[in-house]
Amino acid sequence: MTMTLADLTARTGLDVLGHLERQITIPVVDGLQAQGDLIVVPYVFVEASVSINPWTTWNDVPPAGIELLRSAAGGNPHTLAADPGTCRWTTGVNDERRLAIGMLETTAVAYLIHPEHGGTGIAPGKYVIRRQRERGDGQVWGGSRLVAD
Amino acid sequence: MTLVSALRDEWLAHGLSTQPSDRPRAEAAISALYRLIGAPVPRFIWAPSPMAALPLVPPGRTDPYAPASHAPLASSPDSRWPVAARLASLQTDLGERLDARIIRRWSFARVHEALRATLHTSIRAPLRSSLLPPTGRTPLNWHGQHDAYWVARYDLHARAGHTVYQPADAVELALWADVVQSTGWWWPCAGVCVMAERPTEIHTDPLPNGGEGELRLHRDDGPAVRFADGEGIHLLHGTLVPEWVLTGPTVERIHGERNVEVRRSAIERIGWDAYIEQAGLRLISTAPDPGNRGAELQLYAVPPEVWGRSARILLAVNGSVEPDGRQRRYGLGVPSYFDDPVAAAGWSYGLTGPQYAQLARRT
Repeated sequence: MTMTLADLTARTGLDVLGHLERQITIPVVDGLQAQGDLIVVPYVFVEASVSINPWTTWNDVPPAGIELLRSAAGGNPHTLAADPGTCRWTTGVNDERRLAIGMLETTAVAYLIHPEHGGTGIAPGKYVIRRQRERGDGQVWGGSRLVAD
Repeated sequence: MTLVSALRDEWLAHGLSTQPSDRPRAEAAISALYRLIGAPVPRFIWAPSPMAALPLVPPGRTDPYAPASHAPLASSPDSRWPVAARLASLQTDLGERLDARIIRRWSFARVHEALRATLHTSIRAPLRSSLLPPTGRTPLNWHGQHDAYWVARYDLHARAGHTVYQPADAVELALWADVVQSTGWWWPCAGVCVMAERPTEIHTDPLPNGGEGELRLHRDDGPAVRFADGEGIHLLHGTLVPEWVLTGPTVERIHGERNVEVRRSAIERIGWDAYIEQAGLRLISTAPDPGNRGAELQLYAVPPEVWGRSARILLAVNGSVEPDGRQRRYGLGVPSYFDDPVAAAGWSYGLTGPQYAQLARRT
């Protein structure tokens, strides 16, 4: 089944900025993909460095979505949305790089939507979502800091 | 809207108020607080801003931590303590008695933290750091509307029906609420209380990752906080910056700036493209941006004389277009050992170069 950005905004109740093309089909990606300052990483890429806490609770991702992260400039969120009962999400992960904000496991296509970046499809599978970091000035930032776009 | 979020917004509105002070209400409440510590009711001196108020504060023992010039401080508050120290003690004691009446202590923790983040961390702190002299200390003071977060916490517990305070404590809390709801910063001294009006303008944007309506100061075409006398402070997305960052950012000024957050804000005002060109940064290497068709990753060397140590900047292009049809470029600091832009981009997500090269899509 193909989904357009217009379909996705209608299903989630979330909107995107007016200049984004709404009739275009949203590609579904089963590999590595990025949306702004977030990256969706297939778990096999990072299984050596990311683990799930034993006491983790998983949350079912609702059609209206779960807000993953807000960006700096306009307070715009990245939202993960999926059909009921198909996708679950947890923030209870340990990442040696300290960049993971959570993990998702989905049996159907899940969607990541952002008002400025539009939508993207995530194929069934297990993924870690990480934030982007950058090297700061060693004296002031003390190493790395997270990027907020 | 729930009662809790309504109360949160009500207290936030007090904290952000740009109305002139309600002087009779503020003076009455502060006079009552003076009476509670057994001090004579002061004369009130009003100033249009905290900047104008500070020089009006009489010199003297207003700082309880200052070395004693006469007798050492008694171990419990008495009339030899400065007024400000006795008021601080009064406030602390009230807090302890109110806390003792709160059973579900954590029930409004998120709202309290959110109000504190906005009023204390985002607004009060930059105002204070721009007000403080580079050396030395200022007399102990209160912040009127920007102290709303602590009064709000006790008010929430009471108005949500979670507790009932002792009548005398409720009256005392109401005095602090009166102050918070009626005025700006104030400096209590013996016989005199110096009062600052609230700002006439406050400009904000949302704090990233704030789930409770947290705000930070932001305005890109003028001071984010401005007072009636023209005093003000400039902030971009919460970063306190000198006025030149807004009005005339240049490479020379950027390189002369010690504060890295200020430098970064100024570079973003110019634009990374223009900055790299004007600063003459040396291009190390380029590569197609995986997953971002037609876009290129560029790695630049930043010489030590620019930032105080050698560094590399990765210039990348957003995957999605801006409303004006362009794709925004942005610079990322990366470790200086990278020569390959794809490996540097991978590092920014905790991935290897070969992993990042597999990026299928960027939006």
